[in-house]
Amino acid sequence: MTAEPGSIRARDLGFRYSGASRPALSGVLFDVEPGQTLLIVGPSGSGKSTLALAIAGLVPRDFDGAFTGSLEVEGVETRTWDPAALSARVGIVFQDPESQLVMEHVEDDIAFGLENRGWHRGRMLARVPEVLRDIGLEGFERRRTARLSGGEQQRVALGGVLAALPAILVLDEPTANLDPQGTIDFFARLAAIKAERETTIVLVEHKVDLAWPMADIVLALDREGRPIDLGRPEEVLVRSGVRMRREGIWLPERGAPMPVAGPPVTPGPPLIEAHGVRFGYDPQEPILRDIELVASRAERIALVGPNGSGKSTLGRLLVGLLRPDHGTILLGADEPSNLPAAELARRAGYVFQDPETQFLANTVEEEVMLGLRPDERATAGELTERLGLPLGQFGARSPYLLSGGEARRLSLACVLVRWPQVLVLDEPTFGQDRLGHEALVEIIRERLDTGICLFTATHDRRFIEQVAERIIELGSGWIVDDRPIRRAA
Amino acid sequence: MITAPEMSEAQLESALGRTSPVVKLAVAILWLIALAFTLEPLPPVAVAVLAIGAGLWLGEIPPMHLIRALAPLWIAALGVGLFNTLFSPANLDSTATEVLTIGPFRITEQALMSGVSIGLRVLAIASVGAVFALTTEPTKLVDSLVQQARVPERFAYGTLAAYQAIPRFAEDLATLRQARRIRGLRGGWHPRLLVSLLVLAIRHGDRKALAMDARAFGSVPRSAYRVIVWGPLDVWVGVAGLFVAWAVIVIGR
Repeated sequence: MTAEPGSIRARDLGFRYSGASRPALSGVLFDVEPGQTLLIVGPSGSGKSTLALAIAGLVPRDFDGAFTGSLEVEGVETRTWDPAALSARVGIVFQDPESQLVMEHVEDDIAFGLENRGWHRGRMLARVPEVLRDIGLEGFERRRTARLSGGEQQRVALGGVLAALPAILVLDEPTANLDPQGTIDFFARLAAIKAERETTIVLVEHKVDLAWPMADIVLALDREGRPIDLGRPEEVLVRSGVRMRREGIWLPERGAPMPVAGPPVTPGPPLIEAHGVRFGYDPQEPILRDIELVASRAERIALVGPNGSGKSTLGRLLVGLLRPDHGTILLGADEPSNLPAAELARRAGYVFQDPETQFLANTVEEEVMLGLRPDERATAGELTERLGLPLGQFGARSPYLLSGGEARRLSLACVLVRWPQVLVLDEPTFGQDRLGHEALVEIIRERLDTGICLFTATHDRRFIEQVAERIIELGSGWIVDDRPIRRAA
Repeated sequence: MITAPEMSEAQLESALGRTSPVVKLAVAILWLIALAFTLEPLPPVAVAVLAIGAGLWLGEIPPMHLIRALAPLWIAALGVGLFNTLFSPANLDSTATEVLTIGPFRITEQALMSGVSIGLRVLAIASVGAVFALTTEPTKLVDSLVQQARVPERFAYGTLAAYQAIPRFAEDLATLRQARRIRGLRGGWHPRLLVSLLVLAIRHGDRKALAMDARAFGSVPRSAYRVIVWGPLDVWVGVAGLFVAWAVIVIGR
């Protein structure tokens, strides 16, 4: 089955969420011809997602706010489209794979959107296998979506949208939660879909090295949601490269370098040790097996490996948030899981991968100050300022209403404010624009110079190069490699 | 991670696996109503034995899965029975027949009878429920409720989506507790955890609703990918279930 690609046209488009002090988007103008791919780039909070939602008709339908200007899909204003008809023409894939899956099994989830549109059963029975082939998941019909990897789940979400043969496919940071292999697989599928020219593609994506080569047109937005430039990718780079870089937008560069082997690290006295550590919720499929690890002061360790290889679990064990099933972990002379919370927080810090799941207060200021002693409070203001979250501006806001990049920097501030000796960061650079990334690296390097021991679980090669001197690679719960690397100046 | 035990091919293809979930649900409810008409110990025991036997032979539930599901429920049934025996008002009735005295507790025959009766009924309810859950795929239950029992789609599929999110809430709660600990706050069950958990649940629900909306959910009359049809098995299970309910009422009199 084939579809006809659709066109999109925006003229002086603007949107302000109700209650917001400034518009999320203003003065946006572009034309996308049928079959073209539009890449939308911009720093954190530049309205990229809002624009994606608007093209899918969900802004303003599902979000209150003031819509100005014009946005047409196939020559008709999105606001005058019948919602059912528009959702049949425009499909959207979001960032979080798990929250998009509705049904328990893969084939049922692919069919879900078709059932909603009242497709005849015979047509669905023919279409579902085609989709599974397109997303590279043949044989996965009866697999449970909850048991798939994040990359596979995201391809199911893509399949669920593609099944209905959309004229326009909107993708809002679809690979943000995926590991490098999952990201590459996802983009390979997307490139094949683009090659068919059966659907127009709108892509919001921070992973520039994969996204820019796919684009026919690039729309760059600034921090205030106003357009910087619009045009063919190479033209935009030449015309507005400097401006975009200053705004904090990631631009394609020569591929991030591979880590180079570094001099062996001469270990100081151990600060943190793991011996024979095993951990697993299900004894048949342990998450970690026989972990042996010694790290001393001033060590800078990157934990790498695919999603599900046990990086986050190892990090939580090292700072006593989990207790090993077998083996021992020592933080200084103590088992961290036995330390009282107040003592643990002084010695160790842990920043979770999903910022939202660690917020415990109603405002940004309360969140940073939570559990602090009076003498620790003094540095909070300076730290938040440097992380781009000055308390004067952000202090009274709800942590849940920050942008993705801001929320992650807040979660980092909450831990850094205590000056722990061991710091574990789970994917700290996810979703950061260029300025956020640079502020983060600078602060972490300063802390490293004071002699703290850093563990960071990350897929970000650039970040590894900037901070790490040792790589520990995990695979299926084993340490498969542990080697020194050379750090960039 | 908490997930329901995966159902094997044999379980799905078993007689109970193929029976319409609506029929099974109707039989289960009928049995429980029948039990309400009797205080005798025999009917609930018979219902529990029948349910477990049906689960093992007609549902091909692996015995270990059934034991793991039933053990906590049976312990709860024992607890309920014990509590009702110890604290029954009949124990204070001086005309009631005393069976034995344990420390300060005087236990009468009437109290023992009512405790045993209540405990056994909880046991029967738990057994029927466990067998139903272990022979019924959630998706098939929802499809069958929508197609055969005309339950509104929005409610049925919304509930299914929420059910899928339960493991995520358990993980979120664990993370929130760890987040408190690493910030130097004492462990335990601080009320703030519930507030944060609720915020996360609402935000997750919002995202899911948006994704469902974007996939045209609720826009036009829905068609069915997985069609549930009535079959002879449904009749057999329905008739057998009715017979058992009738027998329970008759024996129990």
